[in-house]
Amino acid sequence: MLASSTGGDRFIAPAAMMRGRGYGSLGAKMGRRTLRKLLVANRGEIALRIIRSARLMGIATVAVFSEADRESAHLAAADEAFSIGPAEAQHSYLNIGAILEAADRTGADAIHPGYGFLSERPEFARAVEDHGLIFVGPPAGVMELLGDKAAARRLAVASGIPVIPGIESGDPAAVQGLGAASGFPLVVKAAAGGGGRGMRLVREASEIQPALEAATREAHTAFGDGRLLVERYLEEPRHVEVQLMGDGRGKVIALGDRDCSIQRRYQKLLEESPAPGLSEGLRQQLTDAALRLASRARYRSAGTAEFLVAGDRFYFLEVNARLQVEHPVTEMRYGCDLVGEQLRVAQGDALSEVPMPRGCAIECRVNAEEPEHDFRPATGEVLYLHLPAGPNVRVDTSLQPGAVVSAHYDGLLAKVVCFGLTREEARMRMISALGEFTLAGVPHTAALMRDIVASEPFSEVRLSTRFIQRWFRDWQPDADTVRAALVAAALLTGRDRAMPSAAGGSSRRADGDRSPWTRLGHFELWSRQ
Amino acid sequence: MKLVLLGREFEIEVVGSTDESRTVQIDGVPVDAALARLGDGSALIRLGERSFRAYAGRLNEATLVAVGPAHFRITAIEGVRLRQARGLASAEVAAPMPGKVLRILVAEGDEVGEGQPLLILEAMKTETTLRAESAARVKRINVSAGQTVDHGDLLIELSPTSGPSAPEAEAPES
Repeated sequence: MLASSTGGDRFIAPAAMMRGRGYGSLGAKMGRRTLRKLLVANRGEIALRIIRSARLMGIATVAVFSEADRESAHLAAADEAFSIGPAEAQHSYLNIGAILEAADRTGADAIHPGYGFLSERPEFARAVEDHGLIFVGPPAGVMELLGDKAAARRLAVASGIPVIPGIESGDPAAVQGLGAASGFPLVVKAAAGGGGRGMRLVREASEIQPALEAATREAHTAFGDGRLLVERYLEEPRHVEVQLMGDGRGKVIALGDRDCSIQRRYQKLLEESPAPGLSEGLRQQLTDAALRLASRARYRSAGTAEFLVAGDRFYFLEVNARLQVEHPVTEMRYGCDLVGEQLRVAQGDALSEVPMPRGCAIECRVNAEEPEHDFRPATGEVLYLHLPAGPNVRVDTSLQPGAVVSAHYDGLLAKVVCFGLTREEARMRMISALGEFTLAGVPHTAALMRDIVASEPFSEVRLSTRFIQRWFRDWQPDADTVRAALVAAALLTGRDRAMPSAAGGSSRRADGDRSPWTRLGHFELWSRQ
Repeated sequence: MKLVLLGREFEIEVVGSTDESRTVQIDGVPVDAALARLGDGSALIRLGERSFRAYAGRLNEATLVAVGPAHFRITAIEGVRLRQARGLASAEVAAPMPGKVLRILVAEGDEVGEGQPLLILEAMKTETTLRAESAARVKRINVSAGQTVDHGDLLIELSPTSGPSAPEAEAPES
């Protein structure tokens, strides 16, 4: 193992070490096949991210785009771009036929799905491989195994990994037994459901009967299926995950852990590596558990094992069989390129050695949302953009002035990632970096994220999945910021009245002649009022 | 002028002005702001010890302002006042968030009463009913059921009713 920190080339594996060893049915690839042209079946920042790694390896790239993305940044970054349909993802980025056709027409020999869209659809992975192309990700069989919650849970149990105590039964006596064995509170859920419907909290034994009755009724009404699932309820768990990489031939490595507890609507807002404040014993247990799972599944490519942590206990949650949004925090700490590694594994190269990690990295997601209004999704057009920069600051984004943020796709605008030798250094750097993030035209979450990172609960590692509800429920920007905004608005409105003809600018919206935008161009402060 | 930001009303008046500063009265309290122009079209606003990079643009009736990492939607009350004089709280029903038009409950030419449901929007798997903020006549419907709309898209245009009608208090944005 290389203990030095000389950077990038630690991960370059000696080419063509592996030859034709077939393993079982879970898709081990035979032999080595050099990637020449990679189609990226995604959009936004992750498409750019993947294209950059491919370019470093001398692999040509094909971007695909919907009608709505005709002017997007990922088109310009790729060597070729291919139109795959209308704005609705269902007919473009989720359209397997159109993507395979794009691969045929451009002569691509491999497809990287990114995250979201088709990345975790076994039928896509299978269609790509049946088409004679390389799928940059785990094989369809592995995805099927890990994508099914019940099957993944059984795999975890068989691997000796703790799962949240629970029973697939609505029988009062059985629930009583669960409460006695695992303790209260319990949560009753509809087995068929999701989205919180039919959920009931049971704080003590006397509440079991009414909760079961109500949940059964609701489950029937909502899903036409009254089956229940009862689990131990974790009050304020942390979300901790382990980054995995496998070669599909049985070798798997772990690249540290990440804490992703700060969430809203079960989606992550902030991630950091390493997960702070875990005992070394617990950290080792999490890593071992993740490696056992990946090894049993004969995992190939990048993946993540997710756990809930409560006190010194941990429980298996799920495996995400893809590259994750938050992979840059791992890359910053390990000085590695996870996409590059995915591409090398995809062409049959051996896994690189695990590099030595150092320091801490934090990622803040900036979403097109209004945090003052319960994070409701926002749209708009980028009128002005100033991104942070500097040593150990990384910004993954596809934003550019004029970019339209529509309701068609995920609202992730940018990921700001900061590295520091200590958590405190990374935290300070993040506060400063987010202070530099200025974007007009689309409501976004950067100011909230800055305030979270600067807050005492974050600094003191009081992390849980209820962090936002507990500390930032009624968040609003501070008074100075509000005053500065009112000053800016007063100046602009005054000028607007004085010079109505200054309004102008063109619409880039694809959906019609009536653009709601009035562009004022440069913010002129020198016309006295 | 009266501005609304984050649901709060502020009375704003520019009371002093030099080449490099403004004094703006916010609810009667004077705030001195030093100003500097930046080459990329933004401005630096300094309030005491803190300075903010700022940029502003307009969307329909709102001004969108970025101040450092914060982003605001600010509306002036003036325009609203004008319409209120004609007995109409708002002449436009705009989408408060991106989503899908589930159902349209009125037709062009209909007279509607205050609070009457006009349209149901589905966003984030939740249904939101948009209602008339005052009595009005439905002048134009710009969308159809099933259509996807963005935040700020103009859904329905309203005009004053033919009958007499008292001015309504400004209702909060739906």
